[in-house]
Parts: sequence; C-alpha cells; structure tokens
Amino acid sequence: MIIEDEQALQESILKYLDHQGFVCEAVSDFLQAKDKLAGFDYDCIVVDIGLPYGSGLDLVKELKYMESKAGIIIISAKNALEDKLAGLDLGADDYLAKPFYLSELTSRINAIIRRRNFSGNKVIAFNEIKLEAEAQLVTVNDKPVVLTDKEYQLLEYFIANRRRLLTKAAIAEHIWGEEYLHVSNFDFIYSQIKNLRKKLLEAGSGDYIKTVYRAGYRFTDQ
Amino acid sequence: MKLLTKTTFYFLITMVPLLAMAGFYLVNQFSKEINYRSDNELVSDEIQWIQYLETAVANGTTFFLKTPELSIFPTDADVDEYATITTTYSYSKTKNEDIPYRQLAQVVSISGNHYQIYIRQSQEQKAALESDVKWIMLFVLAGLFAATLIFNWAISKRLWKPFRRSLNKIRSAELQKMEDMHFETTNTEEFNELNASLNYMTGKIYKDYVNMKEFTENAAHEMQTPVAVVLSKLELLLQDNNLEDDQVQSILQSVTALQRLSKLNEGLLLLAKIENNQYETTEKVSLAEITKKYVHLFAEFIKEKQLTVQTNYQGEFMISLHPILAGSLINNLLGNAIKYNYTAGLIQISVSENHFHISNTSLLKPIPSEKLFKRLKNSKESPESSNGLGLAIVKKIADVNNLRITYQFENELHSFDLVREKGRKEQTL
Repeated sequence: MIIEDEQALQESILKYLDHQGFVCEAVSDFLQAKDKLAGFDYDCIVVDIGLPYGSGLDLVKELKYMESKAGIIIISAKNALEDKLAGLDLGADDYLAKPFYLSELTSRINAIIRRRNFSGNKVIAFNEIKLEAEAQLVTVNDKPVVLTDKEYQLLEYFIANRRRLLTKAAIAEHIWGEEYLHVSNFDFIYSQIKNLRKKLLEAGSGDYIKTVYRAGYRFTDQ
Repeated sequence: MKLLTKTTFYFLITMVPLLAMAGFYLVNQFSKEINYRSDNELVSDEIQWIQYLETAVANGTTFFLKTPELSIFPTDADVDEYATITTTYSYSKTKNEDIPYRQLAQVVSISGNHYQIYIRQSQEQKAALESDVKWIMLFVLAGLFAATLIFNWAISKRLWKPFRRSLNKIRSAELQKMEDMHFETTNTEEFNELNASLNYMTGKIYKDYVNMKEFTENAAHEMQTPVAVVLSKLELLLQDNNLEDDQVQSILQSVTALQRLSKLNEGLLLLAKIENNQYETTEKVSLAEITKKYVHLFAEFIKEKQLTVQTNYQGEFMISLHPILAGSLINNLLGNAIKYNYTAGLIQISVSENHFHISNTSLLKPIPSEKLFKRLKNSKESPESSNGLGLAIVKKIADVNNLRITYQFENELHSFDLVREKGRKEQTL
C-alpha cells in the first residue's frame, strides 16, 4: 500500500514495485488511506507524512491502534529528526527521506516484509542462492558461502532489486550510507562487487552480477 | 569627541570670558564705589574745614596748616569753582613704598583771601580690600565653575543612561535572539522616541528574519519532493533495456546532478537548523569516541587510498553537543582529510581533553582565509565533487557550541584545530 500525494512519485513507486513482483495499491490522501486501511490487510504500508486532509503520522497511530501487523515505512520530504523519531516512536518500522532511490525503497520493503513474515520462511532465494536473513547465512546449492557484512548486504540488495539496473551511487548509498559522499567517489564499490562475484562463482553459482558499462550493475539470470 | 567633552568644551569657551568679564566688571564697580565713598568723605571734610576756616579767619588772620593729610595755605591762584579729586602716590617711610592717596585740591576764597586746600586720604586700605575682594571673587567664581562642570558631567551621565543602555543592547544584538529584545520606556521623551523606533525596527528585522528563515526551510523542503519525483522517473527510465549507452550516460549524469542538488539542499537545511538551535542538547559526547567511530567507518576508504592515519588519543574531549552535530563535525573534517588527500598520504589526529587536531597532506593549495568556512566558496578548487558546505557546517557547529575552529597550513599539512572557546561573547558568522 502506497500512500503518497505526489501523483508522479506514486506512479514511479508503483511501477518499480510492480516490476519487482509486488502487488501494490496506492491512494493519495488521508481519507482514502483511512478507508482502505480499515478495510484491507496489507503486508507493508509506505506512507508520506504530508498528506491532504491529515498527517501520515496519524495514519501510523491509527494502524497501531488497529493492531495492524503491516510493516510501515514513512517517507517524508522533511529529513527532520523529530519527524523520524516521532514516526519510529509511533511504531513505524523505517523512515526514508525524500529523495530516495526506488531500489532503496524496494530493499527496505523486502526487509520489512521478510521480518513481518512470521508464519512463512525467512529465506530469500534466487535460483541456487539462498539467504537466511537472521543468521546472515548464504548458501549456494546448499553449500555455505562465507561473506563479509558488506558483501552480504550487497547480495541482499541485489536480490531485492533483481533484474534492475543499479547505479553505483545507489549501491554506495545503500551499503555505506550517506557518509560516503563526504569521502570519496563511488568507484570503491568496484572491489566489493568483484569479491562478491568471485565468491559466488567459486561456490558454483551462476554469474548473475552483470556490469553495465559505465553505468552500474544488474543482478540477473537472463 | 564625546558629547560630554564637546558640551564641556563649548561651555568653557563661553563661560571663561563671561566669568572674566563679570569679575572685571564687579571689581571695577567695587573700586568705583569705594572711590565715590571716599570722595564724598573728602568733600564733606572740605566743607567742614571751610566752615572752620571762615570762623578762624574772620578776625583777619592768615591760616596756615600743613600735615600729610591736610594742607591749607594762602595762595595767589584763582579760585576753583569745583574741587578736583585725583589719585596720587607718595612715598611712605614706614611701608617703604609708594602708597596711593585720594587727594582733593581746591582753591577757595574765604573772607577775600584765597586759600589752597589739599585733603588726602590713604587708599592703602582700599587697595588691600580690593585685592581681598579679587581673591574672594576668584575663588567663588572658580568654585562655581568647577561645580558647574561636575554637575554638568554628573547630570549628563545620568541623563544619557537610557541611551547607553539602548546602545549596549544594540551592540549585543543577535539576529536569532532579537525577539526578546525590548527597549523600555524612560522618562525622557527623546529617548522614548528612539527606543520606540528601535523596538519597531528590531521587531521588523526579527519578523523579516523569521519569514526569510521559514521561506528557506520551506523552499528546501518543497524542493525535495520534485527532486524525488525526477529521481524516481530517471531510475525507471534506466530500466529500459533499449537505451543506448549515450542515453544511459545522460540519465546517470542527471541523477548525479540531482543528488548534488539534494545534498546541497540538505546541507543548507542543516545549517538553518543549527542556526535555529534545533539541536540543543544537555547530553555530553566524547569527541574521541566519535572520531574513533568515524575512523573505523572510513577504514575502507583509508585503506583504498593507502593513507597512513596517526592517531593520538590523550583525552576524551567531552562536550555538550547533539550527537548528530558531533557526527557531522567529525565526518566533515575527517571526510575532507581523506577526500582531499593523495594516494599514500598522511592523516594525523590527536584528541586531548580540550583540543582536537586533524591534519592531512594534500595536493591542494592552502585555503585562503577569506574563503575558509564560507558557504559555497570552495567548490571549484578540487576535482572531487563537493557541495562547498562542509566547512561552513563545521564552522557553524563550532560557533553555536562554544568551540573555536582554526585552520593552518604548515609543513605541507592542512590542519584544523578545535578548542573550547573561553569567555566567549556572542558572535555571528
């Protein structure tokens, strides 16, 4: 469920998530959102704070009052600490400041749905590669592969955004956070990806990490 | 020149000649009055002597008298219609000096005989009196003068007090704190007018400032949404497999530019928030701990650039600083030291109880002081991407948190030093 009043952004999110295999609905104001939330169960709700007819934070309150099991991600143009803390205090699972990469949103939605998915298994699979999120265990054809933290995050991110072209900047920001921007250009991700690819190949997986010349990377089996 | 000095100066210029003239006039009048009195005495003496002479010479004898004070003797001179009174000097043996006399001289006719009459009166007492009077007057006038000056000074000081108060307030005025500024009413109409105008002015300035600030914040916030829209569209566009390499590159460059815009926006917002003291805290953080954290966080970049990091932690440098700001401070300083370094360069960090120091090697020239810490002044100097706000943020954080940051270029090292500000007065950037 996407609650976002900016039509163009809403469309982009829907389109991207749709591509990644999510079934999404979207509304663009507080009242519609309230109606929908009362009537249906969602796995994950992405909510903007600034909405017509009400605040996204109140929707979060409402959801918690209804004891909804849905994961909640707040997206807001205000990268204000108070908003972030208020949102998380109310029980939101994550907070993303605008502007964000769609790939980042997808990865966070994935993580939340997986965490919320108490009944089902928590294993992320991509062909022969399996990720056990809680133990951060990776297996290829059931043989464990030892990855560093960063490599694990990278793989998880790739799988969440499989078949998408991921720019170096988006990857760098996901793995290293915004701080990296102060430090370096993002060429340094090259070595991380090279190591990850090497480890996966050595473990016998397919060569899924494709370099898109001068642009970034794509994790795909096609 | 101070107003008081000026008024005193003009006061002196007018008062001194006035007082001198008044003194001169008084002494003169006094002297005239004494002469007039003594002349009257001389005339009445003469009348008595003439009456005496008329009885004494009635029997036809000639009268002759000569004393220092009085001489009467027969003369052939013509009769004077009026007595002449002059001041003469004659030698006094006792005093051993010339003594002034008031002398009356007249030739009168008594019973057909002409007599010359001289009557003198010593002016010695008068001279002494005059001198006394002069001194007394000098003292009185000088006293009066001094008293006037002192009163003038004291009164001025008292009268100008509200003015001084207002002035001090204006001097310590800070844009952010102008709301609380109030110039109170005094019992002087002119100052009331001034203070009322000042109240109006500060009120207006503060309102404008708040409007401006809100505008900046709102503009920055509002900007993030369209940026988010464009970024999401570009990201979707990138997923099109039919794109030519050129097109992909164009999109990527747009994304990069957009990211820069967004970061710039965030930086400006951060600066605005620091200015608004939105990061007030009572918590204390250890700069040493934060530094260690960031050195660890940046370890990969440090390794990749083959930098040598020499650290020397002697103290914690505990400080009341919001964790976000502390992070931003160290992040910017350490980030710059890494970013602007060359491969296999050097970074030195030392933290003690009251001093944080970081220095790094770089191919860049020393930062000119007029550009240092200024927003958006440095972004063209380096091939690395930079939004030119990092050091401005560092400076702002230092300023509002009782810290002083200084920069030096020595021995091929760019160094920044952070110390606690002692006896800090409010200052603005």
